This record gives sequence, structure tokens and C-alpha cells, in this order.
Amino acid sequence: MKSWHIRDIILVTILAIFMGVIFWIINPVYTILAAALAPFGLQPLANEIVLGIWVMAGPLAGFIIRIPGSATLGEFLGAAVEMFLGGIWGASTLISGAVQGLGAEIGFAATGYKRYNWVSLSISCLTTAIVTFTWDLFRSGYSAYHFGFLVMLFAVRCLSIFLFGGVLTKLITNLLARAHVLPNVSGK
Amino acid sequence: MNPSLKLALAVLIALEVSFTQVWTVNVALIAISLVLMLINHVTVKRFLWLTLVPLFFASALVWSLTLQGTASHHFLIVLFTRMFVYVYMGGLFTQTTDPLTLTRSLEQNAKLPAKFAYGFLAAFNLMPKIQAEVATIRAAALMRGQELHVWSPQLYFKVILAAMNWSDQLAAAMTSHGFVEGAPRTHAITVALRARDWWIFALSLVVIQVGLFIGLP
Repeated sequence: MKSWHIRDIILVTILAIFMGVIFWIINPVYTILAAALAPFGLQPLANEIVLGIWVMAGPLAGFIIRIPGSATLGEFLGAAVEMFLGGIWGASTLISGAVQGLGAEIGFAATGYKRYNWVSLSISCLTTAIVTFTWDLFRSGYSAYHFGFLVMLFAVRCLSIFLFGGVLTKLITNLLARAHVLPNVSGK
Repeated sequence: MNPSLKLALAVLIALEVSFTQVWTVNVALIAISLVLMLINHVTVKRFLWLTLVPLFFASALVWSLTLQGTASHHFLIVLFTRMFVYVYMGGLFTQTTDPLTLTRSLEQNAKLPAKFAYGFLAAFNLMPKIQAEVATIRAAALMRGQELHVWSPQLYFKVILAAMNWSDQLAAAMTSHGFVEGAPRTHAITVALRARDWWIFALSLVVIQVGLFIGLP
């Protein structure tokens, strides 16, 4: 199994910063979406819709760098970057980042860090959804919602994470594979 | 206070507050953070930002829970104040800690391996370049009549290529300057970890345990 070297550490950090910057660009979209849905009591739905982009750094880093811990580290550092860029959620951003990263990590760990295909990516997306949802049950008081509403939130979350963390990550890695840059990453 | 301990304290408190439902402790934490922020000269603009944004999200959350859920008044107050605990404590932490000192402290006091500490620092210092790169990639695509969205694989593809390039170059540069992974290092600037820091850390945690489990509303 590969271990961490200085190049991989820098790569995962730069990747995390890039994701942080891209997320920063769409931040206003989230706020507008939340504001538009808030009067109907659907503000959490805005969270669920964009969550996929938020947690994408995990599956992406895990899939590209392929060292145990890369998904966790990628997502966690993304959160740290956001915190220092002036994100307002502070220390809880770090916890959310670690939770989201661990969620993605479980998926890759389940296949022993050996398989990198649709199966492992889908498992990773599913574990991310389950772990982050459990966290929100406590943190954001989701446990007090009606059951039907909860099911709807969870379904939207799964879909969002699968679209961004799964489909988009796969499309990106396809491009990277076609450009022959992935063997450099995984073959050393 | 020592940055590593401060970070541990902030994360531990945020974690505990997430799993308990005592709004009086939340209010106390908000008040303490507020006072400490004022002592450290928070700017008006930043303070407004740290208040208005969570005000919106906390209100929206409470409103959704009222419409779509079965939450008690007590639970709603807990959630509302919890949002502010996160934001004010986080605001206090980032206001009083700079990333460089934090990384140094993590390396020296928390025994984070030097390759991680310096790897992170190297990348963090590229931040302005990274922001410029995202702008360049989008502008370059626009010139060819192609708009790159958050869901465009091309955007990420180009970003990852740049990241790979830079990480190769940075790693090579560090090696050529004599950085050896795992080799013993000396420190130009040492971050002190005093007995006082441990006392503040332990006492704060004890006080919070007492507050949380004494039976306050």
C-alpha cells in the first residue's frame, strides 16, 4: 500500500484549496437558494441540493490520489481552507469536513483501496450520504422533522452526492485517464 | 493560548454542544466568545457578517422545523443558539490564530510529522495563485465561447492538471533545498506550550461539563 510523501501531501492540499475556491464561487447560489426556499420551510432542502458539491473533494481526492486517508485528508483540508478563507462556521466546519471525509473514506476502505471503479465510487457516495446524514440528525436537529420529510431530504442528498461525487468524479477521472496522467499517480 | 490546544478546545466544545441540548450553556459560550472577540478588537464589518449570516440560517432552520417537524420550543432555542456558538467560537479562533503559527504549533507541540506541516504550508501559500488559476481557466474557456460551470468536468480536469504540475515542482524545490522526510529538524521559531495553557484547557472543559450535566435548561 502506498504511503504519504511530500508530493502527495502538497497535491492533496492544492486540490483541497482548488475545491474550496470553486465552492466559494457558487456560495452566493447556495444563499439565494436557501433564501428562496426558506419561506416555505424548505431551507434544509437547499443544503441537500448543493451538498454534493461540498463533499465532492472527498471522493475526488480518494479516487485520484489512491492512498489510504486521502479522501479524509482532502475533505478535511478543504474545510480548513474554507475556515481560514473566512467561512463563518468555524470549528464546526472542521468537524463537518472530517465527518464528510471519513464517510467517503469508508467507501474506499470497504474495497481495500484496491478497486477504483463504479462500484467503489458508488459505495463511497452512499457511505458519505449515510454518515453525513447521521451527523445532521444530531447537529442540525434533523431528528425533529416528520419522517416523510426526512426521507425526502435523504433522497435528495443521495442524489446530489451521487451526481457530484460519483458521476462528475468519474467523468473527471475519465478525462485524466485519457490524458495519461493517472498512471503517474497510481502507478508509483 | 497555545494554538494546538486552542484548536482542540474549540473542536471539543463544538462536538459536545452538538450532542447535548442545554441552551443556557450555549448562551454562556456565546457571551464568552463575544467578550473575547471584543477584547481582541474585532472589526464592525466582520462582527456584522458573523451575526447576520447565522441569524438568517438559524431563523430559517427554526422556521423549517416548525413547519415540517415536531420540535419542542426548548429544542428550537437550543438549535438557534447552537448555530451562534459554532460561528462565534469559530470566529474567535480564526481571528486570534494565524495559519502559520498553528501549523508550527501542530508540528512542535502536537507532533504532526514535518512532511505534513511543510506540505500544507507550501500549498497554503499558493492560495492567491490558485484563485488566479481558477479565474484564468474560466476566462480562457470563455474566450473560446465555452462556459465552465461547477458541474463541468473540464474545469476540474484543468484544475487537477495544474495541481499535479505545481505539487511536482514544489516537492522538487523542497527536496533541492535540503528538505528530507523524517529527518530530525531544528526550529527557528519555537511555539511555547506552557503549564498555563493546560490549565485553561482543563478548567474550561471541566466548567463546561459541570454546566452541561448539572441539569440547567
